[in-house]
Amino acid sequence: MKKILFITLLALCVHTQFAQASAERELRIYKNIRCLVCQGQSLNDSNSDFAIDLKKVIKKKIINNQADREIYKYLTERYGDWVLLNPPLKKNTILLWVIPGIFVILGLVVIARRTHLSFKNKDKLRGL
Amino acid sequence: MKKQFEIYILIFITVIFFITFYYSLEANNKNNPNVMLYKTLPTIELTSFNNANLKQVLPIINEDKHYLINIWSSWCVPCRDEHQTLMKLKDKIKIYGINYKDKKSNAVSFLNELGNPFYFTGIDRDGSLAIEIGAYGIPETYVTNSKGLIVFKHVGPLNEKTYLKINEIIK
Repeated sequence: MKKILFITLLALCVHTQFAQASAERELRIYKNIRCLVCQGQSLNDSNSDFAIDLKKVIKKKIINNQADREIYKYLTERYGDWVLLNPPLKKNTILLWVIPGIFVILGLVVIARRTHLSFKNKDKLRGL
Repeated sequence: MKKQFEIYILIFITVIFFITFYYSLEANNKNNPNVMLYKTLPTIELTSFNNANLKQVLPIINEDKHYLINIWSSWCVPCRDEHQTLMKLKDKIKIYGINYKDKKSNAVSFLNELGNPFYFTGIDRDGSLAIEIGAYGIPETYVTNSKGLIVFKHVGPLNEKTYLKINEIIK
């Protein structure tokens, strides 16, 4: 009797754990998919018909144990990269990814020069 | 000399920015309904509207033949607008209808009232078939060629302009 109880409890634990992990995965994917018929909302934020249907399709794919990459591929094949809220690094999105880096470098250069100059000025003043 | 160089750099960056943003204004960053164009129509199985045992798999590969796929519903107002165009097309191309999230009785009375342009009508109860072929909503129309490639896609109701375009394709 005890054994049966133990096994049932164990199975229940494993099941809830599994369900929780899959719910988290669902949420993560929904948050990264754009609701195409809404303005600036992710699938997770939207309750439009399109979003609800798409969520169902994604949920089915998660239940069928499809990898995230496969799900994203399925969606971009049908709706383009626009459907992803996190755009992939590609030829036509390279500026998007590179420009912030350039700005950081430029900013660092400016700061370095300024501090260098102010040190020089201080030295000069000391010299006086 | 150094100042001048800095000014040039500044001008250069400004120009680059201007050009980038100017072109980005023009670029269509909105959802691009043409992603599926010139791709093979994903395989879907339609279950007949009249007889649940009757199935039809799309795309149909048939030499020299185009097929039209139209997603519609009786509750969709623009579908009513485009119905006339579908009626005009029905003798020129085989039309496969996907009845989207509809009540059968409403769909039947819709067709009784406006005519039935569909060679075959399948049901999409939960909208998953529409998503499978990359649709956003209804009405939406696809034309596939003899190899099953989507050669025309239109989001929204068909009109005179799209009618002529479809005619041009299937000629």
